[in-house]
Order: sequence, then structure tokens, then C-alpha cells
Amino acid sequence: MQSKHTWTKTILKVMGDEKRQAVTIPLAAILLSLIFGAVVIGVLGGVNPLEAYINLLKGCGLLPKESYAGYKSILTDFASFLNAWTPMLLAALAVAVAMKAGLFNIGVSGQMLVGGFIASITVGYSSLPAPVAMPLVVAVGFLMGALTGGFIGWLKYRFNINEVVSSIMINYIAQYVIAFFINTFFVNPVTRQSQAVGKNARLTFMDTLVGNLKIDIPLGIILAIACVFILRFLLDRTCFGFEVKAVGASRSAARYAGIDVGKNMVMSMAISGALAGLAGVTYYLGYYGSIQPRVLPSTGFDSIAVALLANNNPVGIIFSSFLITVLSKGSTYMSSASGVESEIAAVITGIILLFSACGVYMRYLIKKMKDRISEEGRNA
Amino acid sequence: MSEYIVEMNHITKRFPGITANDDVTIKIRKGEIFALLGENGAGKSTLMSMLFGMYEPDEGEILIRGKKEHISSPSYAASLNIGMVHQHFKLVSNYTVTENIILGIPSKTRRFGFLPSVDLKAANQRVEEISRKYGLEVNPTSRIEELNVSVQQRVEILKMLYREAEILIFDEPTAVLTPQEIEFLLEIIRGLRESGKTIILITHKLEEIKKVADRCAILCRGKLIDVLDVASTSTKTMANLMVGREVSFVTEKQPPKFGDVILKVDHLTVKNQDNFPVVKDVSFSIRGGEIFAIAGVSGNGQVELADAIAGLLKAASGTIVLNGTDITYYSIRKRTLEGISYIPEDRQNYGLVMDFTLEDNLALRNYFKEPFSKKGILNREAISAYGTKLIEEYDVRSGQGNKTIVRSMSGGNQQKAIIAREIEQECPLAIFVQPTRGLDIGAIENIHKQMIAERDKGRAILLISLELDEIMNCADTIGVIYNGQIQKIAPAGELTASQVGEFMMGVKQDAK
Repeated sequence: MQSKHTWTKTILKVMGDEKRQAVTIPLAAILLSLIFGAVVIGVLGGVNPLEAYINLLKGCGLLPKESYAGYKSILTDFASFLNAWTPMLLAALAVAVAMKAGLFNIGVSGQMLVGGFIASITVGYSSLPAPVAMPLVVAVGFLMGALTGGFIGWLKYRFNINEVVSSIMINYIAQYVIAFFINTFFVNPVTRQSQAVGKNARLTFMDTLVGNLKIDIPLGIILAIACVFILRFLLDRTCFGFEVKAVGASRSAARYAGIDVGKNMVMSMAISGALAGLAGVTYYLGYYGSIQPRVLPSTGFDSIAVALLANNNPVGIIFSSFLITVLSKGSTYMSSASGVESEIAAVITGIILLFSACGVYMRYLIKKMKDRISEEGRNA
Repeated sequence: MSEYIVEMNHITKRFPGITANDDVTIKIRKGEIFALLGENGAGKSTLMSMLFGMYEPDEGEILIRGKKEHISSPSYAASLNIGMVHQHFKLVSNYTVTENIILGIPSKTRRFGFLPSVDLKAANQRVEEISRKYGLEVNPTSRIEELNVSVQQRVEILKMLYREAEILIFDEPTAVLTPQEIEFLLEIIRGLRESGKTIILITHKLEEIKKVADRCAILCRGKLIDVLDVASTSTKTMANLMVGREVSFVTEKQPPKFGDVILKVDHLTVKNQDNFPVVKDVSFSIRGGEIFAIAGVSGNGQVELADAIAGLLKAASGTIVLNGTDITYYSIRKRTLEGISYIPEDRQNYGLVMDFTLEDNLALRNYFKEPFSKKGILNREAISAYGTKLIEEYDVRSGQGNKTIVRSMSGGNQQKAIIAREIEQECPLAIFVQPTRGLDIGAIENIHKQMIAERDKGRAILLISLELDEIMNCADTIGVIYNGQIQKIAPAGELTASQVGEFMMGVKQDAK
């Protein structure tokens, strides 16, 4: 009995007050899932879990591998990791900004696709000089995403169509209409994907010779990190952010306060879509150089969980998207180096998200523990 | 066997800060219709909740059929054949009538000898039988969502009868019904009495009591005032007993100095979501330095009237003029800027963003103005400083000051925060709806003082309250609303509380 109490007290001490719990609960979720994942790796894969985890990090260029091929080093791996991280970070920001307004943008994938496709065919296949083409790609992605997202918000505001339904439907429409255009006009007969975009429009400098290394330098990551801080400023320091958060927290109170609820829903969906569009161009014209028809990027869906794990906090999303990208990006090397199926990484990702979704429950558990201890203290 | 089927002796029930029932004794005979009459918050529902096992009394005893009972839960109450129709129905909307009725009754039949099963056919048949016997006219297989409110209520009655309830409690059953539906319900209630059921009717509507009840207990502020024989008492006496009581405290105020007309409402009609007029052709005006109070029983259109003036509801017809400007079609924000502050009835859903900090809530009405923001960029320091200032001036207490999440604050302090914010707008017109509901005496007095201070600054005050005391205390002019219409407008000195009460209940109508 006594030892059980020390346990609860230790847990309470570590988890801290409600403010600190915003950080400690996701960390606890991650820790628990890594432990859980270790068991899965150990039992199913018959491999030393620690070694598997280290290989994950090695695959992302966060730890040095034993040997590298020509022109490659830890730096190339890390650059490639940054390249994969960028769209995830932007997509999660897209989910978060909608969530702040109380809307669930499940259509990030579709918005990414629209942004990426339109940017590809307008700028990607042009012969504009790079200094013009690159900003133009970003602008087109931003605009197309904003239009798609804003349209979903407008449907909600004007016709009260649930944004989840309309964005899923728009996902399908985007997926198949774009597939039609790619297959009819832009297909590369060998890869069965769309024609690769020109180097001039690509947001990643591919195979750039730095010293004796060939590195893919992602420019998008700078954009993504900038977006984090712009978004944070927008949400915390502007009237617009104040209104969006009020609408998200209580539509009736926001209306009472004289805030135009409809305008704010449309605006926040447009911003969400714009960020998704940016995620789209960094994905299709950065990390990849072409579009695979009839496939929605899974990033758009994973990003929902990434935002959730960070409690929709823009700065928190830097960390949560980093972590999830480590798992997905590093899994290939983990599987080849330690013989664990690469799907195991997806399992761990799933477990992390499952635990992080339990954040509210954990908060409740902690509160209950606290109540019990204070009650027993009073009785004693 | 005792003469009485229910005896509640010396019942006292306290909640934090309030004594809901104070030494109340009522005895109810088998087969009578016994009414409980009283204003909102008089303790009627609390008393019956104890009979139904939702609360337990702090003091006193309950005897059912002459036997002392410790009613610890609604299911125990049901086993004593006590049933209750709540004000808010407790029905599953996508289940059928019968499914709702048998919900929660442990199944006795077993399929294959062990699987609990439900014989819906037999249940449907029994519901049908009971419905026919008492003239309830309910189809057992309809879904609840297809039924209107009055039929849903009859489903609730069926639910009690199915469980063989002998003592039936109705909590404000007519509040949601139209006049024809009320007639039908009263007919059903009479039928139930004839078949030997005992009925307890909680209400504040006098005419219903007059129509069906045999005896009537009047409660006021948790105390039993009298038990009357309905047949030999006039509605006027009942109204007087219900509202005509000594005022517990009087707020000091100077005689009013009226200025120019600030708000003029002309032939205003407001419809609810079902396109049903809830405010009908209402006209009045308020001058600067005047507290215009609207008295009325809950649900007679007063909240909709306030919402329409503040812009939360659209006017169907008529005009609203503020300081000479027609604001009938202005947005909420524009009205705020024209000079309306509004303390809404529903604090938690309208008045506050519960998950925002206190300082953000205090700035909720003016975050977009300087110095709180400039060109769309918030000045957090200015917002914090303003919050600190208001918290001090209005004595808003909270755990972490400015940064407290409003949800964690007490109701009284939440209300103080709203009042601080709205008064500080310094608007020519301030609307107070139920500003003191649920607050303790000290806080009430404070709010009244602030309201009167605002009046003395020359502002127009629209006070809407269900508490007659509050209206008699504060008003310079009283308007009485009944069924969406203003029945009477008169200077406060010309009306007594019991006269206002009669207008409120539609008993008395002014010759027009």
C-alpha cells in the first residue's frame, strides 16, 4: 500500500501541473509507445529493440552509419530527412490552424495534391529561370490550397455542409480528376507517373556537389520553419488569431462578442488549405519531382495525428512532426540493417498516435490520482 | 393504513450557499391532484426530487403509505410505484416509443435458457393497451424523433404507467405545450385521478391549478407558506401568496433624473427557429437615467426580446432605434459600437469563452480597438493591464488572476467578470438579463448598486429578470411581458408586487 502511494506521488511529481502536462503527457505517450514498440520488435522480429531504434536514427542521418557509398555521408542522409520532414511539418500546421477554429480539415491530402499538380503543370513544366520559377511554385501552391480549403469553409458557412464530408469528397474529386489529366496529358510512359518537373522549378537542389558529397538540399524546410513562427504569431498576437480561437472555443460566445463566425471559418480553412498547398509543392516539387496518379499522399492523414500529438501548438508540431518523420524515414534503413520489417515502424507510429490520442484520458487519470491522494491526506 | 399516501415531514435540504427547502411538511391523500405552486427557485422541484430519490433530505422523514422510507435512488422510488415526468424529457430520440418505455427494465425472459431477450411484440401490445385505457393516443412503434413535444410528454407518462406507478409527479408539464395541448394534458391528468392514481403537479401557472387540482401547497424561498383547498380559494389570493411577500432587502437609490429617449422599440416582432412568433408587436422606450425592467414568467419572450435588441436574433418586423439611429438591421458588432452592452442570460455559452483566460474574456468586446490592438496586431501588455485593472475594480476573484482559465472560476466571479466588461464599455444602453441568477445575497446587492450607479450616470438600463424582488427593488419603470406581449407599462411606484404578479400570469389584463 505504502509503496503504491510512493509510485502515484512520483508520477504526479513528474507530470506536474496542468500547464506542464501539455508537454509531459505527449512525452509520456511517446515513451510508453517506444517501450511498447520495443516489445513488439523484440517478440515479432526477434531483434534487439535498442539496435533497431538506433538504426532508425542512423537512417535519418541523426547518427553515423558504419559505412557510406560514394558521395554520401551522414549529411546526405540528414538532408534527405529534412526533405521528407518539410511536407509533414507544413501539413500538420494546416491541420492545426483549422482545429483552432474548431474545424477538422481531413482534406489536407487533397489540397496538397491540388497545389502540387497545378504548380507542376503551370510552373514545373515551364522554362522560366529558377529565381522566378521557385517563388512562383510556392505562390501557386499557396493560392490553390487556399482556394480549395476556403471553398470547403465556404460550403460550411453558406450551406452548413460538414467540413469532414466535403473535404473527403474533394479528396476523391482531386484524386481522380488529377489522375485523369496526368494519364492523358502528362504521363511518363516509363515510370507511369507524371513527367518530372524541371530543375528550375524544383524546391530541392538535387544531387548538388558540396565538397565530395552529392546532397539534395531542401529549400522548403526554411519555408516550413518560417511558417511555424508566422502561424504562431498569427494565432497568439493578432486580432485574427483571437477571433479564430474564440470561434473554435465557443461559436455562440464568439457571435455574442460580435465576431463574424462565418468569415473566420472560411478564413481559417483558407489558411489551412494554403499551408496544405505549401506541403503539396514541397512534396511533389521538392521531395519528389513527379506525381503518382490515383494516390493521395499519406502525409496528409498522418499530419492529423502529428497535430494532435502536439496539441495543435505550432512549435510543438516541429517536434512531433520530427519524431514521426524519423520513424517513417528511418524505417527503410532499420529494416535492411536489423532485419526488422519496415512496417514495424508504421506500427510504432500507430501506437504513438494511439497513446497521444489518449492524452485527455491521461489528464483525467492524473487528476483522479491527485484527488485520491488529497482526499486520503484529509482523512488521515 | 394512513389517510395519506405520501407524507413529507419537516424536510430540510441545503445546497452550498442556499437552503432549498426549509422545514417543509406536506401530506398528500391517495387519489387527489396535489399542486405545488411557487416561483422559480422556490424549492418545488427540489422537494419532489427528494420524493423521487434524486436527492436525500438533510433533515426530516418521508412516509409512503404510512411506512417510513429511505428513498436513495430513482429506481427505489420506482419500486415504491413513484414516477416522475421531468421538465426535460429523458427519451432516446432514435428509439421507438416502446423501446424507450422498456429501456432499463431488466429482461425476465431468456432465449435458449440463458440469453436475455426482449419480447417487443408483447411490450408493444401492453403499451397499446395502456395508451388506450388512459386515452393517451400514442402509437407504440413510432420513433421519438417523429413525435412532437406533446406526444413525447405522453410517452413519458406511458413510461410511468408501464412501470405501474401509483404516485405520478409532473414537473412543469405545461411549460412546453400550446393551449390546446394543455387542455388535452389536463384531461389526461383528470382521467388518471379517476382511475385511482395520485398526482403531484409542480407548476407556477394558476389557471391550471384552478382547473384540475384539489389542493395546492404554496412554496416561497424554500418555505411552505400555506396549503389551500383550491375550490374555495381565488386565483388572486393564490397569486398574492405566491409573490406578495415582504421584500428581503431594499437597495437605496435616489429618485431618477430622466434624460432623452435612448432606446425606442417600435412594434417589434421576433420569431424563433420554428418561425413561431415569440415576441409579438412589442413597443416601449427607455430614457437616459432610467431602469426599465421587464417582469415576466420564464419563457414568455423576454430573452428573445433582449437578443433581438442586441442583434443575436433577427427582428421579423418592427424597428429598434438607438439614439436616433435605426439599428434594426445592424450586425452585432455594429450595435456594440453604436453603444449597446449586453449581459446575457446564458453566461457560459454566450457571455464567456470558457476556455479563454480571464484577461482575454475581459477584452472580448474591445480587443479590436486601440490600445488593445493596432492594425490587427494585439498588444498583449495593454490587454493584461486592462484585465488587472478590471479585476481589481470589480473584485473578480480567481486562482491565477489574469491568466486563469474562466472555466475554473466560480459562477459568481464569472458573472462579475461579464458585468465588469460590459459596464466598462460605457455604452448609452446596457441590457441586463437575469444578472443575479444563482448568486448570493452579497453579490446581488453589489450588482444592483452597480446597475443603479450606471443609471445615475445617465445611461439607459434594460433589466430583464424573473425575480420580482429584483424588479420591485431596482426599476423606475416596469413593463410586464406575458406570452410575448407587453401587458402593462407603468412607473414603478404605481404598481404593487402582487399587481405585477397578476399581469405576469396573464390573470389580469389591462383595458386597452
